[in-house]
Amino acid sequence: MTDILVANDVSKTYFDTDEKDNVVALQGLSLSVRAHEFVSVIGPSGCGKSTFLRIVAGLDKPTSGEIRVSGKKVTGPGADRGMVFQEYALLPWKTTEANIEFGLRLKGMEAAKRREITQRFVDLVGLTGFEKKYPHQLSGGMRQRAAVARVLANNPTVLLMDEPFAAVDAMTRQHLQEELTSITAHERTTVLFITHAIEEAVFLSDRVVALSGRPGRIVADLMIDLPRPRKWDDVVRDERFAAYRDQLTQSIHSSGAKVHT
Amino acid sequence: MSVAIPAAARKRRNWRDFVPTEIVPFAVGILLWQALSSADIWPRVLFPSPLEVANAFVADTLSGALPANLWVSMKSLLLGFVISCAIAIPLGYLMGLSRVTRNFFDPLVNLLQAIPGLAWIPFAILWFGLGQGAVLFIIVMSIFFPVLHNLLTGIRMVQPVLIEAVQTLGAGRAAVVRHVIFPATLPNLMTGIRLGIAFGFRSLVGGEMIASTDGLGYAIFNAQQYFQSPRIVVGMLTIGIVWLAMDRLILRPIEVRTTMRWGLIRDGLEKS
Repeated sequence: MTDILVANDVSKTYFDTDEKDNVVALQGLSLSVRAHEFVSVIGPSGCGKSTFLRIVAGLDKPTSGEIRVSGKKVTGPGADRGMVFQEYALLPWKTTEANIEFGLRLKGMEAAKRREITQRFVDLVGLTGFEKKYPHQLSGGMRQRAAVARVLANNPTVLLMDEPFAAVDAMTRQHLQEELTSITAHERTTVLFITHAIEEAVFLSDRVVALSGRPGRIVADLMIDLPRPRKWDDVVRDERFAAYRDQLTQSIHSSGAKVHT
Repeated sequence: MSVAIPAAARKRRNWRDFVPTEIVPFAVGILLWQALSSADIWPRVLFPSPLEVANAFVADTLSGALPANLWVSMKSLLLGFVISCAIAIPLGYLMGLSRVTRNFFDPLVNLLQAIPGLAWIPFAILWFGLGQGAVLFIIVMSIFFPVLHNLLTGIRMVQPVLIEAVQTLGAGRAAVVRHVIFPATLPNLMTGIRLGIAFGFRSLVGGEMIASTDGLGYAIFNAQQYFQSPRIVVGMLTIGIVWLAMDRLILRPIEVRTTMRWGLIRDGLEKS
């Protein structure tokens, strides 16, 4: 398999206007993600994991280093790197289906094909019957499903997710995590997932990369060998799950950062 | 999974809603007014009764004086509104989207917006003479700033995450403006338009009292000169009714179809 996303020696320093000082958020981060791989980046708050994702998305510029996606250098945001945000970020003035087909409209795809793809992803994320609803009429979990469908329908090279389930309740979160693993396995999506929750990362991923506290350096890079499809009931009983979790926790701990599990 | 859907999409208003919400408040108001005038506390000329006002309304309508004055005033108000918006809305978006434009216009706008439209009356008369030209000018000066100011506030309030989200879906600058900035600023633009029209009415009436020889403001002022107090009230009420009609027939329906439907604003704090 080929590397579809390559981060090469990425550093980010920004000026903190409150502290009136330069802050090094990331220092020399290199990371490769292979096609169809689900990679999570974890780390304590402030370790620069979200900054890293934003640089991959092209929403922030690195101070030095570069990101390449399919060999092409990232210079700004683009449809090949669709992002799902913690705050859903659906357009309130568009219905569920209009939000999901938005990227396809931007590409100028003809209406019939657009509708067909949109309906497929509406069904895939379980929003059938809610096509004509506006985001404010949906629950938090449904909004995030719509946000995932919106990016997937656009067929990105890599799906970027920035703590997407942090704002939903615990029950819904587990449902969404299980659904995400089955959808991304089904669609063979390449995913770069950011979270501070170690168990979530282990549950979802093929590979988990742990960052130290600020400035973020890679302190662990672990392949997760758990059978798919994954269900929480099975995964928590698998002793490898606990082993991965403890190993990652240990790595971050010994890097001197506080950890939330 | 729990599904939170507000009780049905807003139902179409029917007569059952119409009577309590639109008729009862006014009926109570008129009854109170009649009761107060029947109590004969003040002389008739200081406190005309609803019946006298109704009579004056019919007489002024039949004589053609009221429709003529209303037409003159509405022409000025509408034209002033169109001119103001035609400048303020493009300028607002330009200022919102370009730092250079914003930095240049912001100090000027801030200086000028504190000056009441009516303060322009002396120059309006010098430049345009007595008449609707002068009135139009001060109306434009009154509507322009609230529209611009609220639009700018709306642009500042656009959530960055919405822009970023559509950028990662492939949206360029034009698509961001069309699909995010325009709809996101609509609630504030509507507020600006409401305030603008309200300010426009103030300037219209004030301007016509001083700088014109026709229109509703002039009619109110003129009636006072002849102690025709029912006709003063006719002029005042006409303004109120025109505003109410604009709100109910134009502004509200726009909001119900857009910002309220999108869940950006609602009627009150109670759950729908």
